Amino acid sequence: MEERAITKAAAISIAIIVIVVVGIGAYILTRPPAKPKFKIAVVSDIGGRGDLSFNDMAYKGGDEAERDFGVKMVELISKVEADYVPNLRTAAADPDVQLIVGVGFLLSDALATVAKEFPDKNFAGIDTYAQSLAVEKYGAPLPNLMDIVFEEHKGSALVGALGGLLAAYYDKPYIGGVFGIEIPVLWKFEIGYKWGCDWAMSWIENNKPDMKKGIYNTPRNKRVLWTYTGTFSDITKGYEAAKPMYAQGAVAVYNIAGPLGLGINQAVAEIAEAQGLTKGPPFWIGVDANQDWINPGFVIASMMKRVDKGVYYATKLVLDNKFRSIAASEGGVLTLGIGTKVAGELMEGISMSQLKDLDEFIEMGVTAEKLTGKKVLPATPEEIRAKVEDMRKSQPSWIWDAVAELEAKIRSGEVQVPCATTQELVNQWRAILG
Amino acid sequence: MIFKAEKMVENLKAISVPLSRSGLAVVVGLLIGALLMLIYGYDPIMGYYWLFKGAFGSVSEFMETLAFATPLMLTAITFAVGVKAGLFNIGAEGQMYMGAIGAVAIGGAIALPAGIHVAAATAFAMLLGALWALPAALLKLWRGVHEVISTIMLNWISFWLVTYLAIYHLAEPGRAERTVPALPTARYPVLGATLTAVIFVSIGLCIVVYILLWRTKLGYELRLVGTNPEAARYAGISSWKPVLTSFIIGGIAAGLAGASQIIGRPPAWSLYATLGNVATLGFDGIGIALIGRNHPIGGIFAAIFYGGLLHGGRFMEYHVGVCSELVRAINGIIIITLAIPELLPIIRKFLKRGVK
Repeated sequence: MEERAITKAAAISIAIIVIVVVGIGAYILTRPPAKPKFKIAVVSDIGGRGDLSFNDMAYKGGDEAERDFGVKMVELISKVEADYVPNLRTAAADPDVQLIVGVGFLLSDALATVAKEFPDKNFAGIDTYAQSLAVEKYGAPLPNLMDIVFEEHKGSALVGALGGLLAAYYDKPYIGGVFGIEIPVLWKFEIGYKWGCDWAMSWIENNKPDMKKGIYNTPRNKRVLWTYTGTFSDITKGYEAAKPMYAQGAVAVYNIAGPLGLGINQAVAEIAEAQGLTKGPPFWIGVDANQDWINPGFVIASMMKRVDKGVYYATKLVLDNKFRSIAASEGGVLTLGIGTKVAGELMEGISMSQLKDLDEFIEMGVTAEKLTGKKVLPATPEEIRAKVEDMRKSQPSWIWDAVAELEAKIRSGEVQVPCATTQELVNQWRAILG
Repeated sequence: MIFKAEKMVENLKAISVPLSRSGLAVVVGLLIGALLMLIYGYDPIMGYYWLFKGAFGSVSEFMETLAFATPLMLTAITFAVGVKAGLFNIGAEGQMYMGAIGAVAIGGAIALPAGIHVAAATAFAMLLGALWALPAALLKLWRGVHEVISTIMLNWISFWLVTYLAIYHLAEPGRAERTVPALPTARYPVLGATLTAVIFVSIGLCIVVYILLWRTKLGYELRLVGTNPEAARYAGISSWKPVLTSFIIGGIAAGLAGASQIIGRPPAWSLYATLGNVATLGFDGIGIALIGRNHPIGGIFAAIFYGGLLHGGRFMEYHVGVCSELVRAINGIIIITLAIPELLPIIRKFLKRGVK
């Protein structure tokens, strides 16, 4: 009796399974086939959207490419490091995908590996050094791969100069810098920032001798308080690093650790609350995206690395069929910065945030609010604009003019900002500037 | 081992009940996941179609799934062999980190002849994993310290110790975000996708543990101490040997899991300074063990299933547009529903003991 019951139960279960599988099969087979279209794939690092910086900028570039060129962007967010290669492969295996963008230096290995496997697909990396890995592994750079790197040292020089001038004006002895993991890319930021501050001191000497106070009187190799926190994700480390810098008298702290800026912001917010301030000093300086809106009135400016432009230009090059030729002529590495030209066309990627840049990024915050349902913007767009404008107007115009002068000189080539990518160069500059 | 048809039918009947329970759990998990997808406006049928097609649909994708599964079947053993001995050993995470840094040290920082380099790195990793399990074992045996507390604390000590070693002593010069990569002589041969021959070692270890637990006297004593400690004591079995064995086996398995991500996983062949490429694998192993009914062989299948979820999720994201956070939520729900059948008896046992 029991056995018959088990057999009956087994028979019914099998029947149900067969019906379900057939039903699902029928459903799947009757799906309409997908229309082929031009797709670009953006594969992000761990963290994906919502960092209000690097990854969000990359997707913004993809969105703009969708809007301007009619392409379709597909996103692949890596949940763990083991996802880099499978994500890139999945994107490359799709016949409609013409460009695969890997966002972040950690994807360099994976890009070099997968680009080799798919020679007829175009690959671009943001901030990657996949070509140098390709040379190591395969003996030559890959023709279908482009590392898109930026002249962060020049942008950092601009904000370094801004910080130095503010410190002199407000009679503060230091400016600060909170860095992430000590990798060669960050050395460019570090030395550029310090160099910019140093340039500002010479500028004061030659143009505004009445400002010879505060940081001007700090010894040359002690003007910048800096530390490497060893992380690009632990926000508390940003707070812990910035707090003592402000306590020691830094007028502004430069965030070179992505989301750690939110930790720095917390340190500033604490001081603001304690002293009842509605705008800085103390300030902090944003990085990668325009972060001026995060705490309007306290973020004096941001060093914008136009990652979005990188994705946008890469897409444009693929659409114009120029990707391979430009990759060949540039040695597989596209550098975007201040005044940089690619094949005669101006393609810039670094700037210090201006008021007009603010609106684009407030939009990004609005979109993030819609996506996550959480409040991202600290106030209404109009209030934010008003506060930032007020903060900028409150600083004397000679400060902004001086920074603009530096930018013009960098663009024309009159000054050369050191690009420290080797340990020896870094050590040399640290010996001089601290 | 006499082959009798009757015995086979008996065995089949014995497995059929837990198997059908697991089957029911899978269905429930998939249904809840489908409900989540419907709520957010995604097509659940196409979603699951791509999930399974992506994970198992082609040879190279299946190999990728296996690559994800390899460390999981091992950390599952750590927990499972603990449960078999009546312990709640959640130290796989910390023991795995030690195994990983051990593999880096021998595989990346020391040059050895090609024939023995791989074996030496693997053995050293397993040794470090076992050594890291010892403090918890000794504290339990000597002072009765509950292993949940000791292993969690040891996990954190291991995390910071390994991070320190990775950043300050074993970092690749000029690339502070990871350690030196394993030298070519220390790498397992790549089979395809990111799968290497280390999977054979992993499956081999699972089989060895199975044989140990069900075919040796020590294994029998271990299981008896776990199911019925009073009876074991009455039978004159001292508990220290089985408990120590359980911890050490767990440590060896976890150490191998750590090594598998270093000398067995292209393209990085190294440990990230954030320990990102090994993080959470130890804790995931607990869920895998529960799905696999705390059985070393069951753990292999459970790991392959979960590896499929981990790998297949990106296809759901890519072709159906399901956002990656939702994919993770669905994975989590499926794991929870699958773990429940095995978790209930443990909870019941715990409550009974508490009442007594």
